[in-house]
Parts: sequence; C-alpha cells; structure tokens
Amino acid sequence: MKPFTYVRPADARAAITAAGAGSASFLAGGTTLVDLMRLEVMTPSAVVDVSSLPLAAIERAGDGLRIGAMARNTAVATHPIVVERYPLLAQALLAGASQQVRNMATVGGNLLQRTRCPYFRDLAVACNKRAPGSGCSALDGFTRSHAILGTSASCIATHPSDMCVALAALDAVVHTRGAGRERAIPFGEFHTLPGDHPEVENVLEPGELVTHIELPASPFAAHTHYVKVRDRAAFAFALAAAGVGLDVADGKIRAARIALGGVATRPWRATEAEQALVGQAPGRASFERAAAAAIVDPKPRRDNAFKIVLAKRTIVRALELAWGAA
Amino acid sequence: MSSVETPIAVGMVAPSFVLHDDAQRPLSSSETRGRPWVLAFARGWTPGHDAGAIRAQLRGLGAILFVVSDAGVWSFRPDDDIELTAGPSRRLRREAAELAARWGVPSGEDGVFVVDRHGVVQLAHTPSGDLSATLASALAAAGREVIGLPPRPGITRRDWAVMSLVAGFGLVLLHGCRTPGSDRPAAPAPVAVKAGSDVDVVLRINGQDRRLRIDPRTSLLDALREHLALTGARKGCDHGQCGACTVLRDGHAVNACLTLAVAAEGAEITTIEGLARGEQLHPVQSQFIAHDAFQCGYCTSGQILAAVGLLREGRAKTDDEVRQQMSGNICRCGAYPNIVAAIQAARKEV
Repeated sequence: MKPFTYVRPADARAAITAAGAGSASFLAGGTTLVDLMRLEVMTPSAVVDVSSLPLAAIERAGDGLRIGAMARNTAVATHPIVVERYPLLAQALLAGASQQVRNMATVGGNLLQRTRCPYFRDLAVACNKRAPGSGCSALDGFTRSHAILGTSASCIATHPSDMCVALAALDAVVHTRGAGRERAIPFGEFHTLPGDHPEVENVLEPGELVTHIELPASPFAAHTHYVKVRDRAAFAFALAAAGVGLDVADGKIRAARIALGGVATRPWRATEAEQALVGQAPGRASFERAAAAAIVDPKPRRDNAFKIVLAKRTIVRALELAWGAA
Repeated sequence: MSSVETPIAVGMVAPSFVLHDDAQRPLSSSETRGRPWVLAFARGWTPGHDAGAIRAQLRGLGAILFVVSDAGVWSFRPDDDIELTAGPSRRLRREAAELAARWGVPSGEDGVFVVDRHGVVQLAHTPSGDLSATLASALAAAGREVIGLPPRPGITRRDWAVMSLVAGFGLVLLHGCRTPGSDRPAAPAPVAVKAGSDVDVVLRINGQDRRLRIDPRTSLLDALREHLALTGARKGCDHGQCGACTVLRDGHAVNACLTLAVAAEGAEITTIEGLARGEQLHPVQSQFIAHDAFQCGYCTSGQILAAVGLLREGRAKTDDEVRQQMSGNICRCGAYPNIVAAIQAARKEV
C-alpha cells in the first residue's frame, strides 16, 4: 500500500475541502478502497475518512425515503420502511457480498463501487480504467464475467453493484455536496458509460461528497423481485441480475420497472422493456416479449455471449416471481 | 387517537405493557422483572449502525432498553444478545400510540423513562421538561442516594447502571434523533496526519482502551496481531474474502483486514480473546467444541465471531439462511455441516 495523508474531518464541509486537492479518496466502509489500495490499483494521495460523519440516518422524506450516504448495507436492508415499501432494495442488498462486507459497506460507497474485472485488479496487464491509455487486456482475454451492454473499444468491465440495480429501478436521486453547491442527480445520470474514458465512472467532481439518496414513493412494492444468477449461490458477483417491479390494476400493467446488473458497464435500466409491458396483461407471454426488448444491440465477446440469453431468462424469472406466478 | 392521560411521574409504579408485531410475538415489560429498564419514545430514531453500540454499552449493566419510534419498536437486552424488532404494523402503531398516551407523551413527541428494578419510575423526561435539567437532577439524586447509603450492601451495580443508562441513552436517543443523520453515540475527534508520518490512536478492544502509534496504512487486523499480540484474528486472504479476520465492531461482524485501524477509533471492537466471560466460554464457543466444528482451527475464531454476529442480528434462522449468512467465512477443512449445527445449537443458549 502506498503512503497517504489521512484526514478525519470534523464535518462535511471540512471533508469536501480536504478531498478537493490532489488525488484524494473518501473512505466510507473501506470494502472497495482498502482492498484496491492494498493491491495498489488505487493510490490516493489522501484518504478522507467520512465514515464517522453524521450521514447515516434513514428517515422518511415526504412520501419517500431518505437514506444517508453512510448508512450501512445491513442497516438499510433490514430497516422496516425499506422492507415494507422498497423490498427490491432489501433483496438486492442481501443478495450482495457477505455478512461482514454488508455490515461495513455504505450506500455512498456502493454507488462508487469499482468493477471486479480481473484485468483492472492486476497491475501486470493493460487497463484503460486503471491506467488511462494503456489499453484493455480484457478485450482478447477471458471475458466470461464481462459486459455485453454499454461497452466501448476501451473498456468492457461490468458494473458490480446489486444495490445500484435496485436504485436504478426505483428512480433514486443522488444528493451531493461540493465546493459551494449542492446537487440532486437523477440515478440514470449518475453513472457514465466508459466511452473513451473508462477511468471516469460518474459525474462527481473532485471533492464532491454524496450526502444521501432519496427514493420517491413506489407503487411497485406489491409486485417486485430481484433475481441474481451467479456461479455459486452466495458471496459471488452476478453473471446476470434483474430487479423488476410491476404496478398492476384491473388485470393490466400500468407501469413497470426493469433494471439489469452483471451484464452492463453501468447499472442498466431497460426502458424499452418497461414500455413493452405497459397495457399488457401480466404473464409469461408479455414477460418474454419484454425480455426480448431489453437487450438492445448487445456486444458479446468470446466468452460471454451466453449472457444475452441468460439476461432475458433472468428478466422473465424476476417478472414471474414479482407477479407471483412462478 | 387516545388522549394524553396523567403523565407518569417519578416515584410512580410503572404500568406494564405488551406490544405485538405482525407475527403476534409479544414485546412485554414483564421480561424486565427484577431488572432496571429504560423506555424511550424517540420518534425519529432508527437502529442504523448504533444498535450494536447500544448493546455493547448495555452489556453487563443488567438493564433492558425499549425504543418506540416511527420505524418500529426495539428491545435491547444486554446479556442474551437478542434484539427483538417489531416492524410498524397497523396493530403495533395503534398499540405504540396508546402506550405513549398512557405514559403522558403526546403524539409525535419524544420522552424517556427510567424504571428501577422494583418497577418504580426513577426518571421521567417528557417534552415539557428540560432534558439537561432532568438529567442533572437525576444524577444529583443518584449521587446523594449513593453517598447517603451505607458502603457496600445497599449500593448495587444496578443503581449505577440505571444512572449510566440515563446519561448515555437519554442524550443519545433524544439529541441524536433530532439531529438529522446522527446515529452514533460519539464521533472520534478530527485528525490529519501527513503521508509517511505515524498517528496516535486509541482503540477500544474487548472493553479496554489500547493506545498505539501506527502508520495510517495499518489495518485493524495488523494492529491486533502485530501491535497488540491479539493473534486470535487470523490473516487468510487479506482481501475480505475468507473471513478469518472477522471481529465484532459495535456488535457487528466485520473484516478486520479491510478496516484501517485509525478508522476504528471510537468503535467497540470484540475479538475472540474477549468473547468468554472469565472461564465461561461464550455459547458459540462451547457449541463449536461440542459439535467438532473445526479441524485445523485456522478459520475458527472468524467463524465464531461471524456466528455471534449472525445470532445477534437474529434474521438467519433456517440452516440455509445460516449458510447464506456465513458465506463470508471459508473453511478449507470443510467443517461446514458441523459449523451450521453448532450455530443452531448455540441459538438456544444466547
């Protein structure tokens, strides 16, 4: 691990100031940052420890819910309001990582979770995300875990978060504070596509701190499900995951939410698939049509073409479980 | 909505109560018999990450804490590691509202009551009162009582316990829940240390403050093993994947290898060395022995602490749920079936 300046600021303002200079990283739960610093994949000049700032509350906000950036995954997943009104978020969080990691990891950190692409984590090979301009060893490498959606010639790394799939489906808003301004960023605009700059993963500016996320009231709590397909049943990253919600009235789908994990370079909202469900009767036929519409222009590599089929089947399965017909 | 009745005052016998969650599980004042207890109406409070810290403070004090908030009802019992949580069902909301009214706390307001082991209210803080004045007078009264009593026989640890609870939880719950986002008892002091310099830290390990001067890069695991000679936490992968380094942080199982020691200041850390009470093993330790839940033993301390965290959290009940919740702990000897059996057996004892 490279030496770093350690700062534990008195408040959010001091944190933002401390993190605005040099290549600083905020430290929250540490499950990504400490791991990657030990590998020297991340070498921040300063670590600004925001884990003890008072940003961990989970509380009602109007008809919705406000979740502090420092709230731990376990605390969110077991919170009575989350369990009752946003079960998709609870399911996604509990599908991820281990007991220990969920107890450490925070909502804010999870938004900024780095990819598990093995080429990103290996200093001996080329990676445009880790060392911009160095190339991408994954392109001609072993690509079983890699993305088929949102890729570029520079990067095919998969976004690893389960929580972010649920937040994409639930239309979360990310609230931030930076030098001199606060922002409310719709979830779909928070993460960026790799394009020519895979080292940039979101729209945050240097020193900008995620303070909380807000979830609007959700009509999907009655019919929602998170399905995660992986190589082993626990403590593994998704090969394909689907977080879905259905709002059904009079036998017809009024609105639908479908978001995908494990197959794309960022949390992936399948809006075409959602539109395909509106006005339809819930059932296998409409679910399969939606799944077909979800995977638009996939770019498989040598070892991951199976994800095209797997993702569609995962969507159908999630919709069936959400509707209660599986 | 019930109207507010005559407020509960100091010296009155505390009325009993029973609340029910969706599964009709009772949460009752009867479980307090013979112990001091605290009833807190803290509207905006959520368990967040401080539940473990509260329990750590309750441990050994012999008192029970009930918290009634918008998000549900919790009971924190110190010596059996069980936290009963009741979600906000319609029935519970009604019962909680009636309870608040009965104790003289208007709807939407906060209040804290401390009841001694004889069932007599020793402190009542309602919205009309001044919290700090209430606390000051309660502490003064406690002091007088303790000073005025004969040395030893009349002074119980519980008298002290009640006052510690009042001072601690009254402030934490009421002040904490009014400050948006605050859900920790106390944040560690700000610090800034330049790259290449060492930093002075105080770690609270197994109930003792340990002072260290370390490189900020030092993990909690290395601080324990290399600086404090607490080698029970093991280094397996050093990447949070094997669980051999598991310790409890404020009652929750965490990976010590992914925790910077300097970032653990202010937390209550429990290692395998701190789990037994004197010669009496923790039930999970005894059951690991009884069920032969290890072979080489390298992963065992991590397995045991993860199991203690699992039982404390209380969600994983079936064998499958236990396996899922224990998936962050690898055992290369493959003792998994016996580990699950040991955890299920210990569940009945904790």
